[in-house]
Amino acid sequence: MAVARLNSYALAATIIVGALAAALPLIGASRYQLVLVYYFAYYLALGQAWNLMSGMTGYVSFAHGALAGIGAYATVMAMNAGLPLWLSIVIGAAAAGLSSLVIGATSLRLRGIAFTFATLFFQALTLLIVRKLPETGGAAGLPLQEILPIWLPQLFMIVLAALSTILMMAVRASRTGTRLLAIKGDEAAALSLGIASARLKLLFFCISAVLAGLAGAFHGLFTASLYPDVVFSFDTSITALAVPLIGGVATAFGPAAGALLFVGVGELLQIIAPGLHHVVIGALLVAVVLFMPSGLVPSTVGRLRDGRKGERSPAASREFAR
Amino acid sequence: MTALRTEGLQKSFGGLRAVQGVDLTVETGQLLGLFGPNGAGKTTLFNLIAGEMRPDRGGIFLDGEDITRLPGWRRVRLGIGRTFQVTRPFRDLTVMENVLAGVPRSDATRPHDEASAYSLLERVGLAERAGDPASQLTLGMLKRLEVVRVLAIEPKLLLLDEPLAGLSVRESAELLEFVVTLKAATAIIIVDHNVRQCLPVCDTAMVMDGGEVIAHGLPEEVRTNPRVVRAYLGEEAA
Repeated sequence: MAVARLNSYALAATIIVGALAAALPLIGASRYQLVLVYYFAYYLALGQAWNLMSGMTGYVSFAHGALAGIGAYATVMAMNAGLPLWLSIVIGAAAAGLSSLVIGATSLRLRGIAFTFATLFFQALTLLIVRKLPETGGAAGLPLQEILPIWLPQLFMIVLAALSTILMMAVRASRTGTRLLAIKGDEAAALSLGIASARLKLLFFCISAVLAGLAGAFHGLFTASLYPDVVFSFDTSITALAVPLIGGVATAFGPAAGALLFVGVGELLQIIAPGLHHVVIGALLVAVVLFMPSGLVPSTVGRLRDGRKGERSPAASREFAR
Repeated sequence: MTALRTEGLQKSFGGLRAVQGVDLTVETGQLLGLFGPNGAGKTTLFNLIAGEMRPDRGGIFLDGEDITRLPGWRRVRLGIGRTFQVTRPFRDLTVMENVLAGVPRSDATRPHDEASAYSLLERVGLAERAGDPASQLTLGMLKRLEVVRVLAIEPKLLLLDEPLAGLSVRESAELLEFVVTLKAATAIIIVDHNVRQCLPVCDTAMVMDGGEVIAHGLPEEVRTNPRVVRAYLGEEAA
């Protein structure tokens, strides 16, 4: 079992951090602190969802914002229809998973930039449809009729972030993870070894979409009102890819660093330069790509371990990534 | 036992007839050398056998089973393994991960698989590099890794596409020595321009020119065949 091969320290650290974050309301953390932790968990869950598919296979998706939005809308619509909470969440996740199968079946044959454009198209199409449908409230949006206690979606999101990180660790430590990375490295060579790339890509796109759908569902419960232009804006898709790209693609802990930086930079800019959030995040992405192409975490750990300047050795990065 | 048989294999690209009516047979325990000048159709023939392209006519049979219409990945599962002219390692994976990537077993058998992969790496002198990323290997090491990576999927038929390209005489000799040891369990077809080093280790040889087989037989017969001499050295030499 891949789980048996997980780094037990990393696993324990993830569980402890998750448990501490979940226990914050009980130890008197302020509402502001809770919201920061919530957004950290939200970005982490989204980032891990993207990382699991795009980070591992190299198929860059811009549809994860749309998949999260579909999860949010489906969950809120189900709740408003009087369905129980758990079933509504399952419906949200399933809707995102099914959508990924539609995108995947039609687009995963495409390679490189063509796949990315197909996902962009899906994102734009979803926004158009949701804005037109009366069932989704159209452009005016959709409120959640039953407001839940705020700690509940917070708890859900923290658990999701922790579980998606553990899932990423398990996949990275498994033979399946090796096959996904082989597809990313050279798909034709992977095929020549009998790796069923089409099936694997579709499976992981679906798992990734379910995670994004769950993140969207919990975020929908947290915000309690959905506006299509916000829910299906490209911001969410960009966040989903920027978090692992900054922290470290195809690693379990890179997205945690990326999410932390995202929340931190966002808060700092609220104070010193409101409205410049995207500019700074964009500049950060460019800087990471230029100077730390493997991401903040692998690069930093490499420097610490190797005791030298510059990019860490790939061998050490890999060891850490597990 | 016949591992691979092709019958009247043909493939054209527009007006260019890349492979014309090729019949070949390779048996388990046999090493067939496939030679010819650039553009002779050798790699196209490899691609047809590996399932990367479909023939216009003719049939391909593995262990007597017609695989002509099967996709490449199904042929890999049935036991056809290939290497590429230009090495294609998974550069960000370790040497060990490269070898294990195609092994069709669950994680439950992982320790056994890793032990087998390690012993394969030992045989080609790469065991000490098992934990290093493939991107850190030299060309000679990458060539050996690529052969080992295919061997890990336990092929019945091994297609080696220019395995000696870019290697020194000594590296080529070492790799060929290793390839010869693989014959016991598999049938091998090797394509290479280094006829001088390859031919002596082959059991049979085939030479193509302009998509056609111009000579087929024992290495010595092929080497002295006037059509082969003409194809390589020109009319005057023949």
